[in-house]
Amino acid sequence: MQHDEILTLTRDYIVENFLYMRPNAQLRDDESLLGGGIVDSMGVMELVQFIGDRFGVTIADDDITEEHFGSVASIAAFVAARTSGANVA
Amino acid sequence: MCGIAGIARGVPRGVDASTLARMAAAIQHRGPDGFGYFAGRRIGLAHTRLGILDLQHGAQPLANEDGRVQITYNGEIYNFADLRHELAQRGHRFATATDTEVLVHGYEEWGTAMLDRLEGQFAFAIHDRRDDSLFLARDRFGICPLFHARRGDSFYFASEIKALFASGEVDAAPDFAGLDEVFTFWGARAPRTVFREVYALEPGCFARWHDGRLEFSRYFAPAFDEARTEPADALAQLDATLRASVARRLRADVPVGGYLSGGLDSSITCALASAGSPHRLRTFSVSFSDATLDEAPFQRLVADSLGTEHAVVRVSGAEIATVFPRVVAHTETPLVRTAPAPMYLLSALARQHDIKVVLTGEGADECFFGYDIFKETAIRQFCLRQPTSAIRPRLLDRLYPYLGHGGRGGAFWRRFFLDAGSPDDPLFSHLPRFRLTSRIKDFYSAETRAAAAPHDVLAELRDALPAAFGRWSALARAGYLEMVTLLPSYLLASQGDRMIMGNGVEGRYPFLDHHLFALCATLPSGSKLRGLREKEILRRWAKALVPPAVHARHKQPYRAPDAATFFGDARPAWVDELLSSEAIQRTGYFEATAVAGLARRCAQGRATGFGENQALVAILSTQLWHEHFLAARARPAPLPLDRASVAWHEDPSTAPYAPTRSAAPSIPSPFSLRSCSTTRS
Repeated sequence: MQHDEILTLTRDYIVENFLYMRPNAQLRDDESLLGGGIVDSMGVMELVQFIGDRFGVTIADDDITEEHFGSVASIAAFVAARTSGANVA
Repeated sequence: MCGIAGIARGVPRGVDASTLARMAAAIQHRGPDGFGYFAGRRIGLAHTRLGILDLQHGAQPLANEDGRVQITYNGEIYNFADLRHELAQRGHRFATATDTEVLVHGYEEWGTAMLDRLEGQFAFAIHDRRDDSLFLARDRFGICPLFHARRGDSFYFASEIKALFASGEVDAAPDFAGLDEVFTFWGARAPRTVFREVYALEPGCFARWHDGRLEFSRYFAPAFDEARTEPADALAQLDATLRASVARRLRADVPVGGYLSGGLDSSITCALASAGSPHRLRTFSVSFSDATLDEAPFQRLVADSLGTEHAVVRVSGAEIATVFPRVVAHTETPLVRTAPAPMYLLSALARQHDIKVVLTGEGADECFFGYDIFKETAIRQFCLRQPTSAIRPRLLDRLYPYLGHGGRGGAFWRRFFLDAGSPDDPLFSHLPRFRLTSRIKDFYSAETRAAAAPHDVLAELRDALPAAFGRWSALARAGYLEMVTLLPSYLLASQGDRMIMGNGVEGRYPFLDHHLFALCATLPSGSKLRGLREKEILRRWAKALVPPAVHARHKQPYRAPDAATFFGDARPAWVDELLSSEAIQRTGYFEATAVAGLARRCAQGRATGFGENQALVAILSTQLWHEHFLAARARPAPLPLDRASVAWHEDPSTAPYAPTRSAAPSIPSPFSLRSCSTTRS
């Protein structure tokens, strides 16, 4: 799957499930999901579940960091790297 | 406790007895044992009685020897016997054995300075007919409620806001700053309420109304002047103070029971009460089918060890949903948690067992830094001293293991706490909670957002802090913030007084004894929170008093099932009705599309985080609140005047008493005392 497609699917999921109460909000790809109050701790788990199910990525506990899940862009980069078999730091 | 209400007119055009009876009807649940009123030329008083002391002679409004000083009073004065003795020595004559009468004579003797002498929980209004004035006061911590409003030249007061509206002379409209405070602090901060131009008398304050003017004064404010080291006799002081506090609160002419949560605080109050009670103590607990919230095994352990007669109400989500509209009608405010609902069912259980008075452990977490927010403050402060540390934030895992999801995502959610605010901010301790709660505001409609915008409720709280605040320790500052935000506006009100009095039961709070608070406030923080061990000195003291398993327990926050309760198979029809786009647009507080999204996620069982749970409860309760208080204008029928235990009618043609005391015995009474029978209790 292409990086842009991952980006779009991830962004759509977040907007539909975590930003439904802010219909006019424009989610930037680099916007902090935690700092912006967009997802809470349960939201992170929901996001992890979605990423795993939708993109077939196995996510270890140590993978759940701000570096990988802190923004739409970082999630897309993480998923793209995993699905292409690259090693993600 | 009881219900009180009244009206003061700017000009002597009279207060109609039926108006007072209607106000009393609105708060009859607070005092089902009797009703009385004083219909005066300028001032009217009403009272609904929960008979606890001197059941034969305690009807109110109650007057002094010559009828010049009248009182309507809700509460308990625990040192009334000492005050009565002192007043009798000074020549005051008593006709009853009530604490009420002590207030009347105490006011005559000491005026407003009487408040410094009072130990207990109270809200009262004293009408001094010598100068046609009204003196209102509220206890130090805000246990007993007292609301007021002005409309035209008239002043209205009552234990609950619904009684003000029942007068037919006070209109109801939302106060958006008050709502914004609920969606920040969990409750509107006195004097503000969620109704426009309806106010709460602040805890520790009194007011005097005279000639149409209203003046407020403060007689108590919590202060935290902590010692550097724990006094050698701290345990002995704690022992004496806590035992005396419980003993005073066992005084009643009816049996006193106890709430038992299964935690340390209520185990202590029940243990001391059991030892001091002339009866086998009756204890009452809430149990949940959700094992993560349930404390039943600990409750049973304590009940068995004390040999109490124990009763449990097992509460399901469906029951919470069923009772929730009644709960909101009693709280008179939107809620962000369903936790008051089980407390309402618990007081019903006590009442079913003919218990009118219960001791609770409320207040211990404020006095002894028991809440997680104190540990959270200490951890955040510790982490921010070395922001690059990867190890220090892991302390949050110990504090909130349920947020760690079995170790998953810890690094992620810890940032929420660490980024919440600077230690330099006076509100540092509470910013994570305030910010989490404020997520409800994401659902505001444009109109609500605009109406709330002029008010920065956090800035207002910062501005209201006392001068000494900056000199206190971080934990003491957190303690103060708890005592001026959550305690009076939510714990003692929405989850306390309104839930317990909703079923005509009086709550007594040994940990909110002001002597005990003074002792705790001067202990060093380390005596209360040592490392991550909360209530350290209380644990040390209680070691031999409570079962070891309870003694060793960490504080379990009291929580009840939230959003899911409203989306089960048997959910009440009003849930869908009030969440419909039409209803949301009609009331106008929230954005309909946003609420629809939340309802969809709740129905799918996906709203599992704090943010969405509290938003759902907030939106539903706001809708219920609006429907009950703003959309429906029904007023209660007045209580039948011929059923009044006390009915005073002041002759409107008579001049008021001259402001002199010396001629008191010879002054002819301007009253026509229509009836003055004892209350039927």
